[in-house]
Amino acid sequence: MWNMGCQHLEELYELWLLGALSERGSLDLREHMARGCPHCLAGIREATETVYLLGLASKPARPHPRVKSELLRQISRKAPPHR
Amino acid sequence: MSVELPAEDLLARVARHDVDALSELYDRYAPRVYGIVAHILPARDAAEEILQEVFACLWGESARLSQEGNSVVAWLVVTAREAAVDRLRALRKNAANIGPQASIAHSGKGSDPGAQKSKAGVLPPSVAKSLEGKTTALKPRLADVARTPAMGTVPAAWLPLPKEITLIDDRLVLLHKVINQLPKPQRQALELAVFGGMCESEIAAEIGEPLGKVQRSLRAAVTFVKHRRRAVCGTWAANI
Repeated sequence: MWNMGCQHLEELYELWLLGALSERGSLDLREHMARGCPHCLAGIREATETVYLLGLASKPARPHPRVKSELLRQISRKAPPHR
Repeated sequence: MSVELPAEDLLARVARHDVDALSELYDRYAPRVYGIVAHILPARDAAEEILQEVFACLWGESARLSQEGNSVVAWLVVTAREAAVDRLRALRKNAANIGPQASIAHSGKGSDPGAQKSKAGVLPPSVAKSLEGKTTALKPRLADVARTPAMGTVPAAWLPLPKEITLIDDRLVLLHKVINQLPKPQRQALELAVFGGMCESEIAAEIGEPLGKVQRSLRAAVTFVKHRRRAVCGTWAANI
């Protein structure tokens, strides 16, 4: 059930996801989310889209090819046969 | 002409231990992910390590992620930013424990007149340089960092579905336009939050403004971007 007392949290969703809130604000929202508020869950989902977009504000950069080689070597060691 | 497979189809193949599918996802998204990580972390070896760990995590979590059906690129971007910011915070904390230069990293107003801010506006080159080559000793494992969820644990219910979000490079110009429309103090505060890994009080100390003003700036900036999100993604026709 939507808790009418949570409207003031709406403007905090994105900052919470970014880890930019003070300890107090972060704690309030975390405790509220732990109670499973569907209104805030929907808001957090939209806020994640905004956080995603903000991440895209950086310019793409080409990593050194060595990183991919190491990654594939690392996972190939652990990988069971391809199904 | 070959048609590019949806990322979610490739992820389903990764979940069946198809290394070629992971290789294809890497080729498609590594520049985007590395761009975010390298913007946050000044040291290249740390940025490369996070990039590798994010894709290794995608491999390890592929079965769960594929089942949940969320957007792969959204998971990659959100996870990479969190992981890089966690590493940056840990490096900053370690720098604070190393010596007096650490206060510069937090306040940006140290007594060293030659101190210049790094590209992320967080560590001056003198501190960043001192960390280079020491990251093996300094860096905590990602699992040790508790301020935000550990890598790859963003709840599925929080992530958008593929149809709700797209990575359309030619629309990113609109995103930059939106961000450039922000007043400079708001843009600066948002940059420090998104790519500097700073919380409100750290931003206030960094830019020398009262906490209340920084809080208002951040909320206004986020609201501005949020209200233009659909237009940037192309799901609303709107002038920006």
